[in-house]
Amino acid sequence: MASKPKALLLKFPGTNCDAETASALQAVGFETQVLPSALLETSSLNDTQLVVFSGGFSYGDYVMSGRFAKLSTKSKIGDGLKSFVDRGGYVMGICNGFQILSQLGVLPEGSLTHNTSGRYICRWTGLKKNASSPYLSELPDNFELPMAHAEGRFVGIGDAAGDYVKNGRAALLYSTDVNGSTHQIAGLQDETGRVFGLMPHPERFTIKQHHYDPDWNGAEHGWGYYMFKSVYSAMA
Amino acid sequence: MSKAIYRHIPISHLNEDELLALSQKMKLSLSKADMLAVQVIFREENREPTDVELEVIAQTWSEHCKHRIFGARIEHSLDGETEIVDGLFKTYIRNVTFRIMERKPDFVLSAFVDNAGFVKLDDKLAVCLKAETHNHPSAIEPYAGANTGLGGVIRDILGAGKGSKPIASLDVFCFGPPDTKQEDIKAKDVIHPLGVMRGVVRGVRDYGNRMGIPTTSGAIQFDPTYIYNPLVFCGTMGVIPIADIAKEVKPGHLLIAAGGRTGRDGLKGATFSSVSLTTASHEEDQTAVQIGNPIEEKKVADFILAAREKGLIQFVTDCGAGGFSSAAGEMLSETGGEIWLENAPLKAPDLESWQVFISESQERMVIAIEEKDLPAMQEIADIYQSEICVLGKADGTGILKVMHHGETVCRLDCSKLHEAPRRHMKGEWTTTESEDEGCYISFDDSPETGNQLLKALMADFAIVSREPIIREYDHEVQGNTVLKPLAGASGDAPQDGSVLRVDGSDQLVSLGLAILPEWGKTQPHLMGRACVDECVRQLVAMGTNPDRIAILDNFCAGNPDDPRELGALVETTKGMALTAEAYGAPFVSGKDSFYNYFKTSEGPISIPTTLLLSGFGIVEDPKHVVGASIRKVGSKLCLVGQASSGLAGSVIARLLMQGAEAGEDDALDFPNGPAFDEKEVFASYHRYYELVKKGAVLSAHDISEGGLAVTLAEMGFSGKAGLKVDLAEVPTFDDTPAAEHLFGETPGRIVFEIAPENAVLAEELGFTVIGETTGDGQLTITNGEDKLIAVSIAELKPIWQNGLKQYY
Repeated sequence: MASKPKALLLKFPGTNCDAETASALQAVGFETQVLPSALLETSSLNDTQLVVFSGGFSYGDYVMSGRFAKLSTKSKIGDGLKSFVDRGGYVMGICNGFQILSQLGVLPEGSLTHNTSGRYICRWTGLKKNASSPYLSELPDNFELPMAHAEGRFVGIGDAAGDYVKNGRAALLYSTDVNGSTHQIAGLQDETGRVFGLMPHPERFTIKQHHYDPDWNGAEHGWGYYMFKSVYSAMA
Repeated sequence: MSKAIYRHIPISHLNEDELLALSQKMKLSLSKADMLAVQVIFREENREPTDVELEVIAQTWSEHCKHRIFGARIEHSLDGETEIVDGLFKTYIRNVTFRIMERKPDFVLSAFVDNAGFVKLDDKLAVCLKAETHNHPSAIEPYAGANTGLGGVIRDILGAGKGSKPIASLDVFCFGPPDTKQEDIKAKDVIHPLGVMRGVVRGVRDYGNRMGIPTTSGAIQFDPTYIYNPLVFCGTMGVIPIADIAKEVKPGHLLIAAGGRTGRDGLKGATFSSVSLTTASHEEDQTAVQIGNPIEEKKVADFILAAREKGLIQFVTDCGAGGFSSAAGEMLSETGGEIWLENAPLKAPDLESWQVFISESQERMVIAIEEKDLPAMQEIADIYQSEICVLGKADGTGILKVMHHGETVCRLDCSKLHEAPRRHMKGEWTTTESEDEGCYISFDDSPETGNQLLKALMADFAIVSREPIIREYDHEVQGNTVLKPLAGASGDAPQDGSVLRVDGSDQLVSLGLAILPEWGKTQPHLMGRACVDECVRQLVAMGTNPDRIAILDNFCAGNPDDPRELGALVETTKGMALTAEAYGAPFVSGKDSFYNYFKTSEGPISIPTTLLLSGFGIVEDPKHVVGASIRKVGSKLCLVGQASSGLAGSVIARLLMQGAEAGEDDALDFPNGPAFDEKEVFASYHRYYELVKKGAVLSAHDISEGGLAVTLAEMGFSGKAGLKVDLAEVPTFDDTPAAEHLFGETPGRIVFEIAPENAVLAEELGFTVIGETTGDGQLTITNGEDKLIAVSIAELKPIWQNGLKQYY
């Protein structure tokens, strides 16, 4: 590809991880635009390869996380996001973005609801790859990322969660039970692998200095860097 | 058809007592002298004031807004010697800062003139910090009170310069002990400390997390004196291009209100917080508490930052206490101008004129712009979905004229509005120095006594881990928190403060704070000094350049009309000023909160004089950042500073005195506080910084609550190594009893870890090697051959880590 791949980051009222997520995307090579949702229209997706829904509290998340952002997105672009994926586009949702993607129905069915502790939890967590994914290709089988959320417990209908673990829709699992998520699911992908959502925050671990241990030396960059780099490599 | 709802209030014929009665009836919180001054203003104009005018004056002159006690002339008597303090603020805060600014011309960019003071980060960017209290609202409605406390200080930063970007928050609370028995609470309707704590923490959590501002620093003090008057301090740090600091309202500028709508929530907050609390406050003053909506504030923040980047903002300030009246009043204080209240979007249609003008409804900002820029502003507001209106216009008349549906409801000369009568007050203090050296703790040959005391300290509410609360705050959003509140190899060990990267700069900012109310009960002057030292010391320990530190003072006190309480405040301020000047640490902002006392049927209960000293500084290189957790086996441990005798105010003293309630308390007296010399201490910080710049310091932790033994244990909580220290190596060891070395809290001390090959370097700089890190996982403190403490760190850590879990 001659020009750099483009990433479009949607910013809803209450989205608050847009700046650092945009920096992370730029660091691995994406030409990145942050688009306030008031300006979103169907044609906005025409000229981009990756659409990113970043972390925050869209519309306050007072009702159910991601619910209002879904309604707002649907009212502006209808099924535009699905068509974008059908055209071969990539979609990434981080934390609140994952919650929004779940609501939008572009990821395997299920809900992200309150952690079993009933608490907001800000900590680092071990993660393990459970399936191949274009977002995980440059990461080792086990790695760490920070997490920060109150509604990150994945719950599916019946044993949907168990099925997702078996069929690889659950691409990413927590290495310990941090929030009560069924089968420790931390991230999901659609059947194409191009749509990916996760609760932890890759954009908060792009450099070594982000790690809580000053002696961390697992790789040249932080693990989150390699997640963005993976998807960049997949389309570059 | 809507119309203005206001009335004239006849005051010209009232005598002193009737004026005071009117002030009380309208809840204006104005004194007799104030009301007489008001009467003069309107007699000169030959008319009666409107209710809007009286409310505006009451808000503007309230203690909350005008800080009249820090401006008062105080006749202060120390041990019988009387002196005149010609304004605490002017003498001990502003003038100290001005002298430091002369000595260090290129550091402080502005102080005391804006919402927050600015210091230079690099050639392009400046950083600012502001802290506020929200005590009274948090006492009667903990969640909403703390929620809007944080929301308010974030707006202070959004309104600093032409709009600063908030990059970190701190929160500090003083509560009654979590294990307070319900029957020990001596007044009806007072909320139990657990209820206050849970509500306050959740309030801060829900605002800070939704705003996407990392809450990176904090502290909690527990003491029975805070049961009736909990204290809630919220602070926020911001960053702005230096070119966008200066701002000015000129005639012709439009005043735009942006953000939330105006309603009846938060009426008279400024005056409510300027009187004491009673049981009746819990019933009657609910409307004084505002209701927060962080997403509204997030939208207005995005709007302001985008508008500032486009160069559209001429002036901006927040609507805090006093609402539009104080924001517009401040903006029009030089030029004068007109306000059109009917343009303000309302939450309810039938608000009276005075309610619209002084309501403290949240999430509102007032911005001055060039008239031609209105369409561009509207476009940005639409993008970020923030509601705006044209609230008024600056006109150069010097008169504040407030219109409502065509009627003039308020017309005040700006110069008179800001001239509140000066207060004259009395303070007194008697020092409690004693010849008696106080209690002596003896050690047997075995380390049993030392181990037991250390375990009791690790479980004390003053020391236990705040982890359950810290994890409820997002402390990593924005992706810049390099030194986190919990860190070390296991990610859960305590740190001295936090360090943040700043987008667009190679340099970093550090954030620290100190609060030592226990010292203030008997030694207010020492508390003032020790708070400045501890805050500066934390910043230095984390790798901050000692010459690039600025500080903030936030005072909370009880009844200022009680000479002893005011005397304690004067002494605290003097102590604080002395150390700040010696360290060259300028005050760039501050705030005070009085009337933190509660009238029970058995008499008033006051808080102790409480000083939150927060500070921020520049860490010049990411390589300079130093955490507080041990990193390697085989390192050397070095000591900055010397212990001195005196345990007054220490956690160990409080612990031992608690245990002696069975009548033997005269044997357990700790009358004296520790001594330290600012000049010597600050020189040692400079020498420590030499090691930091060489990259030689592996980890460092200040010695504060619980003393050296607790510091060493906390350093070991990274799980990387044990620590072995021999007190016989400490030069002043023989002058002071062993217990004071172990548990005393003498200021000026830091323990740091250094690679063995660098130990010579440390010794050449005058530091003493007192021990080393070991592979045995033990904390061992000896006096030569005698073991004073020998305990497994793995045994100590859960005691410390789980202490608060059962309560939060």
